[in-house]
Amino acid sequence: MIHILPAGAGLLLAGVALHVVRIRDGQAARKIATIGSAAVLLVLATTAAIAAATGAPELDLFGFRAHWDCGEGRDVAPFVDLLVVLLAVGMAPLASHPPRTLSAVLQVGALALLFLAFSEPWVLAVLWALSAAVVARELSASGGSSCVMSRAFRRYQAPSLLLMFVAAALASVAPVAAAVCWLVAICIREAIVPMHGWLPALMAKAPLGLVVVFVGPQLGVHAHVCGVRTLLGVEQVEHLFAVVGAGTALLAAALGLVQKDARRAAAWLIISQTGLVAFGVENASAVGWAGAVLTWQVGAIGTSGFVMTIAALEARRGALSLTKPGGSFARTPRMAVAFLFLGFASVGLPMTIGFVAEDLLVQGSIDEYPQIGLMLIVVTALNGMNIMRCFFALFSGQRDHVGERDLTRLEVVVLTAAMAALLVTGVAPRLVLGPATNTPADTGHTHSRPPSVDGANPDRK
Amino acid sequence: MSDAWLHVVVSAIIALPVLCCFVLGVPSWFGARISERVVSTAVAWTFSLTTIAAAFALLALCLRGGAPIEVDLGVWFQVDHYEFRWRLLGDWLSLPFACFASLLTGLIAAFSRRYLHRELGFFRFYLLLALFGAGVQVVVLAGGLDLLFFGWELVGLTSALLIAFFHERPKPVEHGLRAFLTYRVCDIGLLAAAVYMHHFTGSAAFVVAAGESAQTFSGLVPPSVLMESLLVGGLLLWASMGKSAQAPLGGWLPRAMEGPTPSSAIFYGAISIHLGPYLLLRAAPILDVAPGVAASVAVVGGLTAVHATFVGRVQTDIKCVLAYASMTQVGLIFLEIGLGLRWLPLLHILGHAAVRSLEILRSPSLLQDYRHLEQAVGRQVVRSPFRFERLFPVALRPWFYRHALERGYFDTLLRDYLVGGFLRACRWLDRCDRWLTSVIVAGDQDQSKSDEVIR
Repeated sequence: MIHILPAGAGLLLAGVALHVVRIRDGQAARKIATIGSAAVLLVLATTAAIAAATGAPELDLFGFRAHWDCGEGRDVAPFVDLLVVLLAVGMAPLASHPPRTLSAVLQVGALALLFLAFSEPWVLAVLWALSAAVVARELSASGGSSCVMSRAFRRYQAPSLLLMFVAAALASVAPVAAAVCWLVAICIREAIVPMHGWLPALMAKAPLGLVVVFVGPQLGVHAHVCGVRTLLGVEQVEHLFAVVGAGTALLAAALGLVQKDARRAAAWLIISQTGLVAFGVENASAVGWAGAVLTWQVGAIGTSGFVMTIAALEARRGALSLTKPGGSFARTPRMAVAFLFLGFASVGLPMTIGFVAEDLLVQGSIDEYPQIGLMLIVVTALNGMNIMRCFFALFSGQRDHVGERDLTRLEVVVLTAAMAALLVTGVAPRLVLGPATNTPADTGHTHSRPPSVDGANPDRK
Repeated sequence: MSDAWLHVVVSAIIALPVLCCFVLGVPSWFGARISERVVSTAVAWTFSLTTIAAAFALLALCLRGGAPIEVDLGVWFQVDHYEFRWRLLGDWLSLPFACFASLLTGLIAAFSRRYLHRELGFFRFYLLLALFGAGVQVVVLAGGLDLLFFGWELVGLTSALLIAFFHERPKPVEHGLRAFLTYRVCDIGLLAAAVYMHHFTGSAAFVVAAGESAQTFSGLVPPSVLMESLLVGGLLLWASMGKSAQAPLGGWLPRAMEGPTPSSAIFYGAISIHLGPYLLLRAAPILDVAPGVAASVAVVGGLTAVHATFVGRVQTDIKCVLAYASMTQVGLIFLEIGLGLRWLPLLHILGHAAVRSLEILRSPSLLQDYRHLEQAVGRQVVRSPFRFERLFPVALRPWFYRHALERGYFDTLLRDYLVGGFLRACRWLDRCDRWLTSVIVAGDQDQSKSDEVIR
């Protein structure tokens, strides 16, 4: 089965990547990459609207059934991926993102979109491997194959790929073994503790656009939905995965507070958000599941924007230390606002979709995991502290102007798109959650205990 | 006034400040430069209109004989059986508070026009003030804990940003961060209470309890099991302690006075600091069924009042004295709530807020005011011959003085042992993590790679 929209968008983006790699001038390459990503986003939105309005029929493509939708629960995933790509290329500093790196960013983005179009284990394994290979090649090219980030990436990702192919091979003969292999592969890819070591090492040195586009779309979540949830069905393993996810979120949130540089603090923020999603996708209740999917999408946009703002600031100011305040809000007000807004949106800022995601995730978890539900609240509190600490360290304490300029026009446009997406969907969450179906009006805010694990989520059946 | 019009009026109390934030914030994001006059006028007029709307709603409440005004703005989002509904509630607790808060915000907006004239962050101050005003109105008019949490977060965020308003100096930034961390730790209690209320009772809405008259405040429906009530009540007390600077968490309050005087007046003299007692008044039905929680509220309030009145007496600058005076009064309000009083705390809140905000606004002119006073009375103003400290035995006075000077050692306890211990544990875990990664990535053979990872 193929989902036409993400597949088409992925192929278009791959075309843009091929074009960008041939451009010599870095500024022109970034401009073309940004315009190309925006155009693909526009085409995707228009086609999706037309397909939804006309009820486009299923197609038969080389024996695959081709759908115009994006799959249950993932209708907005291609848009989120494209927004992440847009942020990664539009905010990319020229010094660390030459045309070759920008092309790699677009290629990884294209592979992420193609990943959303398929559900077959072998296809997913191949796309998974290709996207890791593109990043590994680019890291080797930019830092040398023996540099720490490149070695860390290869040493962690190689077992992940191997396990993914083993899972694909075993899927039909030994589904439980396949699911366990798949789960471990996902844990490595999603940087779940204790298999997370590659991400802080990668974040410390790698071009941040590349990191964002590799981590932001969270292919592991999609692989989890397509593979593990259909194959496994072993409740104990699922609970274990949820507990490990929650533990990851808590540990990463705590470690984020003691980092001395902005890149590593952002790395732990990403790991913490990933842990929350990993916990949520194992949730038996439809509410918790919806919260996890939203956390994934909000985290992808919010955290990517947050990280790319760090990249833009670093390009202006050099290495960003958090040990003492070293900036001036008054000199870069729009960058500071974007940093704060995107960071807080990813951890539940009111009026954004992040608040909705946090609320659903916590409310949906409390029945099944009363203690862990409380832990999630602690995690969001710690992550908020981490963001505020970074904000004050990076945008205050400096009276003298060190020469950095505020956001460029291109950066404003890209960040506006990301912030508008978080704000508009926050004001009208039905755009991403679907229309309300049941509106009991007797109380202010009602909640009934979720149905049993078997019947809680239609996706699980 | 028909119900439909009344609903529009109550909705406007929240909608107007939110609209003001968007009208000022969006053009500014796109680079528009808005003059001081336009910004201050927009905010002052917004809160003037909000005050009128709140006053109308209060009048309507009187005409209805005190029957609460419920405004259902619909479902914000819904998944399965869970829904988040925007439900506003106007009753004897919320509408006087909303009226007072919007009036004071408007006055502060008018006052700050001259006070902050040509200040670098003039626009930022007004935008944050409008956002704070919107957050307060959401907290006050919320029909349940979920919506209340929405506004509570906005108030905390704007408070921290305004403490760090003079961001070029390190101390205001440090103090803003400290206040934010305290808020954030205590907000865990509020969100957890909302979630557990859903878990235990299926709802976190404020309602008038069956059998109660319309003259009482709406509040949470207590869980049927005592332990559940104790848990929820304890969490709400924790949330209130952070926002209202109750001992031992109140160390951020005197430090918060680093912000501009007008924002100190409205946040820490008037509105933000009283949101804790407001939350406890909404949780009053839980306090009624869980005497343990009520006793804890009274003990916390009583201890804070005693602590703050001691510490306030040895402060050497006026804003710190006023901060501890605020803390003392809020402690007394906690004590009143813990003792089961309901109307007295509300009157105490409104009276204290009015007096304290005026005192803080006048504090930069203290010396001039004294000079005017002395000129008026024609002699030097001396301290009252009665000294509170003379009530204590001479042998104990140095101990009390030391205790007050060290702010009850609460700051040291929290900073060095509790938070410090947590951060030391996190640093140790971080070092372990880096070592483990270095072993995996570099192996034992390549020491330089290992060192690079650890660095």
